[in-house]
Amino acid sequence: MRSYADQTDQQLIGAAQKGDRQAFTALVNRYEQTVYRFSFKMCRDPEKAKENLQDTFINVYRKLGSFDGKSKFSTWLYTIVTNNCLMKQRRRKIQELEDPLEMYDDPPEQDGRLKRAPVARWEETPADLLLTKELRSALNRAISKLPVDYRVVFILRDVEGKSTDETAKILKLSVEAAKSRLRRARAFLRDQLHPYLVMHEKATK
Amino acid sequence: MNCRQAYRFICDNLDEKITSARCRGIRKHIACCPRCQAYLDSVKKTVRLYRTAPGPKLSRMVHRDLMKALNVEMVQPLKPTSKSACRNSR
Repeated sequence: MRSYADQTDQQLIGAAQKGDRQAFTALVNRYEQTVYRFSFKMCRDPEKAKENLQDTFINVYRKLGSFDGKSKFSTWLYTIVTNNCLMKQRRRKIQELEDPLEMYDDPPEQDGRLKRAPVARWEETPADLLLTKELRSALNRAISKLPVDYRVVFILRDVEGKSTDETAKILKLSVEAAKSRLRRARAFLRDQLHPYLVMHEKATK
Repeated sequence: MNCRQAYRFICDNLDEKITSARCRGIRKHIACCPRCQAYLDSVKKTVRLYRTAPGPKLSRMVHRDLMKALNVEMVQPLKPTSKSACRNSR
């Protein structure tokens, strides 16, 4: 018999649904890092990420009997972890920005020319720059300011690499709504990081 | 074609290959507009920064606490929900 680690998600789910706890544990081992990282990216706090990790897999265990295999297990898992994150974030009322980011739908413009867009180019960002404390702080500050409904779309689509369709499905949004939030989130984050990266470029010259 | 249309295209379709005539027009505009090029470049870099920023690694302690929490939960046998119970009884 194949070891649990060699079995497909579908095989493990089937066995777990019949009461095989080791199969369920193998599923947990396979996805715990993904869930933990995603939770951390959403809430930016290791304790909250740990709490969310536990709540997510407890929910997965409780709901596994109803998983019918029509969607990918990972999509179903992301739906559960995302719901957990969103519920907790809304409960804590940590949204720093109350207003939706409608202003990011269009660039402020004059005669068809972008006003907000910089003429100055951003510096190249080599991998070691990512390790600097300042840049990590800037990235953290910017994404923490992004309202959670936008943050989740950005993280699923741009950080986790889900397609726009899958992102919309996980969040039960229309594709158009997901695209709209993604557009605003990208523009917001880009504007938040702009002063930092332009200043950094000047400082290194 | 102007910067406004290009702005929407940049943000909607970053890294997605779109080959319609409209999108070809927008790409042509971007190729000739330094402001739009700079903007596209900065949006791409924003995405890349977040995508490549290292995430935390799950520690042994976090794994152990997760397994403890699940062991308590798994004392209860996994039951089908009413929905799947109905399906199975057909």
